[in-house]
This record gives sequence, C-alpha cells and structure tokens, in this order.
Amino acid sequence: MSQGVRERESSLIWVQGLACGALVAVATPLALMLAVLLAPTAAAAMFDRQPGQPSVRAVLLCGISACVHPLRRLWEGEHTIAASLGILGEPHVIALAWTAAAGGWILAELAPLGLSLALEAASRARAVRLRARRERLLEEWPGLKGGG
Amino acid sequence: MPAFAVADRQTGRSDLMAVQVDRRLAPRAWALQALTEPVEGILSPLAHGQAPDQAGNGAYYIVAPAPPGPALDARPRTWSESELLDHVLRPAARTLDRLASLALTHRAIRPNNVFQAAPGQPVVLGMAWAAPPALHQPAIFEPPYVAMCLPAARGDGSIADDVYALGVLLVTLALGRSPLAGLDDEAVVRRKLDQGCFTALVGTGRLPAVIADIARGMLADDPEHRPHPALLAEPSAARARRVAARPSRRAPRPLHFAGRQAWNARALAHALASAPDAGLQALRSGVVDDWLRRHLGDVGLATRIDEVMRPRSGDAPQETQFGEAFQAMTAVALIDPLAPLCWRGLALWPDGVGPALAAADVPATERLTEIVTTEAIGSWASLHADRCDATTLRSEARQNRAWFGLRGPAGGIERLLYALNPLLPCASPLLGRSWVARLLELLPALERTAATADPATTRPIDRHVIAFVAARSERRLDLEIAALARTGENAAEAELRLFAALQVRLHPAPLPALAKWLTTRSDELLAGWHSRARRESATARLKELAEAGQLAPIVKLLQDAAERIADQREAQAATAELARLDTELAALANDVPERAILARRWGQELAAGIGLLGVVAALLAAALGLD
Repeated sequence: MSQGVRERESSLIWVQGLACGALVAVATPLALMLAVLLAPTAAAAMFDRQPGQPSVRAVLLCGISACVHPLRRLWEGEHTIAASLGILGEPHVIALAWTAAAGGWILAELAPLGLSLALEAASRARAVRLRARRERLLEEWPGLKGGG
Repeated sequence: MPAFAVADRQTGRSDLMAVQVDRRLAPRAWALQALTEPVEGILSPLAHGQAPDQAGNGAYYIVAPAPPGPALDARPRTWSESELLDHVLRPAARTLDRLASLALTHRAIRPNNVFQAAPGQPVVLGMAWAAPPALHQPAIFEPPYVAMCLPAARGDGSIADDVYALGVLLVTLALGRSPLAGLDDEAVVRRKLDQGCFTALVGTGRLPAVIADIARGMLADDPEHRPHPALLAEPSAARARRVAARPSRRAPRPLHFAGRQAWNARALAHALASAPDAGLQALRSGVVDDWLRRHLGDVGLATRIDEVMRPRSGDAPQETQFGEAFQAMTAVALIDPLAPLCWRGLALWPDGVGPALAAADVPATERLTEIVTTEAIGSWASLHADRCDATTLRSEARQNRAWFGLRGPAGGIERLLYALNPLLPCASPLLGRSWVARLLELLPALERTAATADPATTRPIDRHVIAFVAARSERRLDLEIAALARTGENAAEAELRLFAALQVRLHPAPLPALAKWLTTRSDELLAGWHSRARRESATARLKELAEAGQLAPIVKLLQDAAERIADQREAQAATAELARLDTELAALANDVPERAILARRWGQELAAGIGLLGVVAALLAAALGLD
C-alpha cells in the first residue's frame, strides 16, 4: 500500500472518530441505541479481513434496516437516555436487529457459494455442447487431428 | 532341352518340332527376330510363343523343322576327305555365310546338333535359338577364350567362333572320335592355351592333308586369323590361305603359382583369371614381373604390368574398393589381349552379362553386379579398342549402371535382368505358373492370379513386376513407374495408375478380378479424401467400377479435381472450427479459479445489494408510517 493511500485512510479514520464523538456528545441516546443495535457490525469488522470488508457491509446494511424503526420511535418520543434504554429493553428490538445482522453475514457467505455453483454448472453445460459438436466434426472428418 | 514333335494345324505340316525354353535361360531374341525367312542348311525357327506344358504350367516353345535324320554322333565313324568337304564343310560354310550376312551367329555346332538325312546328303545345322549362345557347347568345340567363360555368359560372339566349332567338327569326324576325350573343361582350356588349339585337338592323330590345312586355319587362336565362311565354301581357296600367326612365345622355365604351371603368356593370363587371389599376390610380389622379364623376355609387357600394379593416389573411392579386381582384370587383358573380361574368378564376354545374370547363382550375381556398378566392361573395352566397339560398350556399361542404380523398385538387379534379356519371363511369384515374357501378357496373367489371391495379404505388384514393366515399356510408362518409387506417394493409387495405363495401351478387355484386387484397400486409395461422406460415396462407386473391370474410370474418379478441391476447402474449414472448439474447451477447463473469484465478488455485491434493499424498504416503511 502506497504512502498516500495510507495517509488518506488514516485521515478517514480520524474523520469517522470525530463524527462518532460528535454524535455521542450531541445525541447520546441515539448513539447509545446505535451502539447496541449495531454491535454485531463491530464484531464482524473485527473478524472480516477481506479487502473492502464485504461481510461487514452486508451485516451493517442489514443491521441498519432493522434499526430504522427503533430510531424512529426514539426520535418521535422523548429523546433521552431512559427512552433509549426503554426501547432497547424490549427483547424483540435487539433480537430483530441482531438477527438481521446475522442474516447479512449469512448472505455474505452464501451468495458467493451459490453463484460459484451456478457458474460451474453453466460452464459444464457449455463444455458438453462443445464436446458433442467436436465429436460430430471428427466423425465427419476422420482425418482431422484435434488437440482435445 | 525338351523337344516335342508338333504339327501345323493350318498347313498340315507334321515334320516339325517344338523345343521348350528353360525359364531362367531366355531364348535369343535378336536371332528369332532376324530369321524371318528360313535359311537353307539350318533348322531355322518358324514360330515361337507360349503354350502350357504337360503339367499345365506356362511354357515357351520355339518351333522349327524336325531334324532330317540322325545326329552325326549317332553312328561314330571316320569320314573321308571328300565327304567332309562336300557334305560337311561346303554346306555348313554356306549356311554360316548366310548367317553372317544377317549379322547372326549359330554357336551350337557340335556332333549331336548337326544332322544328316542320309549318307551322301549335306549336313544340316541344328537348333541354336532356344538358349543363350553356346550355352550347351562342350569346351572342346569352343575357342578357349569362350570355353573359360560362364556357360550363359559366352555372348553371341562372331562368325569366327562358328568357324572354330566347324573346324573342331571336321577334326572330330576326320579322326572318327572326339578329341581330348576324358579331359574336363578346365583341362581342355589349359591344353589349348599351352599347345595351341590345332595341336591340342589333333595331337598325334592323322588327318587328310587338305582337312589338316583347312582345320589349322579354322582353329587359329586369334579369331581374326580364321577364314571367313565364304572362303571355306571354296576349300581349295581356304587351303591356300596362309596367315602368318606368330605362335605364343614359350618360356624355358614355367611360372608356378596356385598349383598351376604357365609356360607362355596366354597360360599365365588364364591362371591369373582362374586364381585371382593367388595371381594378385604373384603380381604384387614381383614374381610375375621377374618371370616376364627373365624367362619370357617380354620387358615391354612387364613394364606395362608394373604400371598397372603401382598404386595411384588419385583413385576414386569406387575404384579403390574394387581396385584389386580392376588391377587383376587389367593385368589379364594386357598379358593376353584375346582373353575375355576376367573379374574375380569369373570370365565373360560383355554381351553375355544379361543371360549370365539370369542364370547366375548368388556369388556369381554378386560379381556380375560389381562388374555393372564399376562399369568394368567400359574399362575392359578401352583396353581392347582395336578388337571391339569400345565406344558402344562404354555407353552400354554406363546405361547398365544407370538402370541398376535407379532408385526404387524400377532399378536394381531385376531391371537389368529384364532390360538385358528381352524374352526372359517375369519371375514374379505373383504370376505363379504363367509365362509372361511380353508386356501384353502381364495383365491377363495377373487377372488369373487375382481370382485366387488373398487381397488382404498380397498386392498385385512387386519388384519383379515393376522392373519387368519398366524394362519392356521402353520409357512410355516412366511417369507411372516413377510415382511408385517416390516415398510418400499413395502406393495403392500409383499401382492403380500403372495398371490403368497398361490396360488402356495393351489390354482393353475388362479385368474385374484385378480391379477388385487393386481397390481392396479403398481406405488407402481414398487417403487424400477428408470427408467421411465423400469417402463412403466414393467407396461405393469404386466397387461399381471395379465390377466393370475398367481401371481408367477408377483413376478418373480418384483424381476428380473439383471434388478434391471442394473436399480440401471444407476440410480446412473443419480444421479451423475444430481448433476453435479446442480453444474454448481448454479455456473452460483453465478458467476455474477465475470463475471462483468472480463468483465471490458478485456474491458479496449481491449480499450488499440485498442489505441495501432492506435499508431502503425500512426507510420507505418509516416514511409511510407503516409499523
């Protein structure tokens, strides 16, 4: 990795840190809720060492989709730490958010596998068609010398 | 030779005989061709051709008048001078004169081949055309330089050789017994060379004075000293003829080597020719040189021999390989200019090479082959330029070498055999019991063979058939024959083209069995065709044409240019498509890692996309106030 890229990433981390700090300072209940509901994303970020962290992206996006409803309730209700803890205290809120995150992770793991199987099947079908054509060709032209 | 009484069905003439020809000893083609009209005093050939023998095998016969009476050896007796002159010498001399005018020789004058209808009648010379010249002549009746040759290699010789044989016949009849009886051929030759022919044959016998004088001239050692038959027809003139022939100088002491004694140069040459290894040793050791100088007193000859034996640095490799044989041949030719070509123990006259090859066993064939490949006849002719047509002989030697050296089956020993023996039957095992001496007889014989041959294991052509066709076609089929010799050529198609050309030119009748035999290997014939469909169609057509028995349409089918071009073009397109298919298959086999990477990338993007859709759906639900 070049020196310039490293410097840009380091700056981005600093910006993200500042944004998070600002969020904690300005909207502590919101930050608390996000911290709890998106905890699986942080865990996924610790284990995903792939370039671009594709599993983290899927877990984050799925987790966010499950956070929208609790955040709306918090925004429309009292914007306090107690309200935030109250919502978080409802078992189905955390369960739904973490299940969505788990679904994202499973999706990130299974989608490549499924696609791989599909591509392999398509390749084999094409190879079968090509070989059949080749056999017909050799039968019609016995003197041909094929490499396969 | 087997002879049979035969009758002419057309004329009813029954005083005829047919002499059967030996398969390895071809009849004298030139004599049979030249004797179109019967010659008085001789059993002239009336017809010749093939017919089955008693076992049903192919055989060749020469038809001539039957002998008018018994042979002269049937009742041995002493003939009087007048009988010899009137009933033997004059008629035989006139007959020989007529033969000489036709550029022919008889070469078979001996008591059992000269006939007399009745006492007081002129003798008739017997058949002499069914075998190579002088083949059956005993050594006594031939000059020593002919008798020492292989029997089949004695050549046509000259009319002087017939005069010699007639002289021996006169002596035999005058003595009432065969001279030199009890001696083997080698001893007869040695005796004649040592003592001179007349002395050796007559010895102490008493001849009528006229006969003795005439026979002395007829038995001269040098053919040029013998009287011409025209002169012999007038015995008084022949008797008056005196030739100042210098007798061979006799040394006071003989030269001993290889168990032989040589008293004169002629005997020395014969000893060198008969025992070449010992002779060469004697030449190299200087023994011969010393004997020639000190005892024979011929310093000039000794000097010439010394020059021959001295090694030369510029010798060509071929000459070096056979250098010793060349040295011995040259030494013999220098010592005795009358001697035939002597090569490693084998003696022959140049025009006897062809018959000798046909009759020779393996060792003799090897030496005859050496003579051909080294053009020894040309070298020998150069040493005898005053006694032979050296230019013609050199040219023939070069031609023989060229035939022998031809690449492929059209050359080699077989080509020489048939080129030098115009009536020799083809010796191919394919022809079985058939007698095929002329080109137009080949295809019918092969058609008969084809009826019983196994096409899977045998082909209708071999080296003998090819050489036979090449020799008999006289360059008219050179293209077809050359195609057989080329490596890589479609052999089956080349064979077919050759036989088709033969059929068109010589035998237009259908040959269904041969055609089927030739087209059995249709795979090979159609090897140049690529398309299976075209091959199957052509194979079916081949079968139809083969059943019709005409070979030229089969060749035309195989050489159809338009079909071949279309086939070639389509084959190229198929080749290109096959290459494309192979490339694609190889890419599919090799792209597995790339596909895995692609699947992972797309799968991850898909997972992110689904997550994003979830976010959008949740946001929409929130915006629309849906719980």
